[in-house]
Amino acid sequence: MADDEDNASSVLDADTFIETESPEVIIARIEGKSRQVERLLRIPQYAEALETALMDAPTQTRDERCKSANWILVHRVLMATKDVDGLLMGLNPELHDILMKYLYRGLATGDRITCDLCLRLHERLFDMAGIGCIMRAISDTQNLV
Amino acid sequence: MCLQNFPCQEVERHNKPEVEFKTSKELLLNPILICRNEAEKCLIESSINSLRISIKVKQADELENILAKKFLRFLSMRAESFQVLRRKPVQGYDISFLITNFHCEEMFKHKLIDFVVAFMEDIDKEISELKLSVNTRGRLVATEFLRQFT
Repeated sequence: MADDEDNASSVLDADTFIETESPEVIIARIEGKSRQVERLLRIPQYAEALETALMDAPTQTRDERCKSANWILVHRVLMATKDVDGLLMGLNPELHDILMKYLYRGLATGDRITCDLCLRLHERLFDMAGIGCIMRAISDTQNLV
Repeated sequence: MCLQNFPCQEVERHNKPEVEFKTSKELLLNPILICRNEAEKCLIESSINSLRISIKVKQADELENILAKKFLRFLSMRAESFQVLRRKPVQGYDISFLITNFHCEEMFKHKLIDFVVAFMEDIDKEISELKLSVNTRGRLVATEFLRQFT
């Protein structure tokens, strides 16, 4: 019984979270990604740009700078896109959950333009991904975006 | 909305809404903040046995500010009869709902959700109506009063 409690607490305890990569490495990777995204936005290939931005999102770290850096990148892509439906059609289903978490982050900002865009995207993504996507975004306390 | 009974882990025989006390991290879900714009927002915090929804209502000018405050305070004071209302709104918001697993056992879940959604839809209308009636009454009174001087 005592073992079960110890195991449970180590799995759920945020303090014992082990970071596999250092923040500097992650930020360097995000900077590399941002150059790629800028290039893709100039072509313009919005779907690929969004995939690049969402891939390897810094969920496994607790460093706020990495998370903000990636959020700025995703935000840039979302604001640049004109065709919302086409953007989501081509998106890899594995990235739906990450996108939903970013949408909720966007809704929390309070900036009118961002919120309008996030609400529209939320509706489309919900139609595509279903309620499970929202549930995972709410209940996942380990991989915070 | 899936809430289940969860007796308090720290104190024997106590049953507390975990979202209010936030004693254990594993019992809480991520809080969701949805902003329509800078003035209106809605915070949804959830836990294993309770759910707290806080709303900040749009207040365009001073008069709406006062009306909203008085109206929502009136409702909050009568929170007993509403059951799911919280007596004091969360810091930074105008009104808060607290829904626990006991409410879900007594009442239909979809009805509870409909209630909250209908509340959000109607509150703006109510405040606009109140503002209109205040302005109308003011105008009538002023006309009558000043008539005697003409």
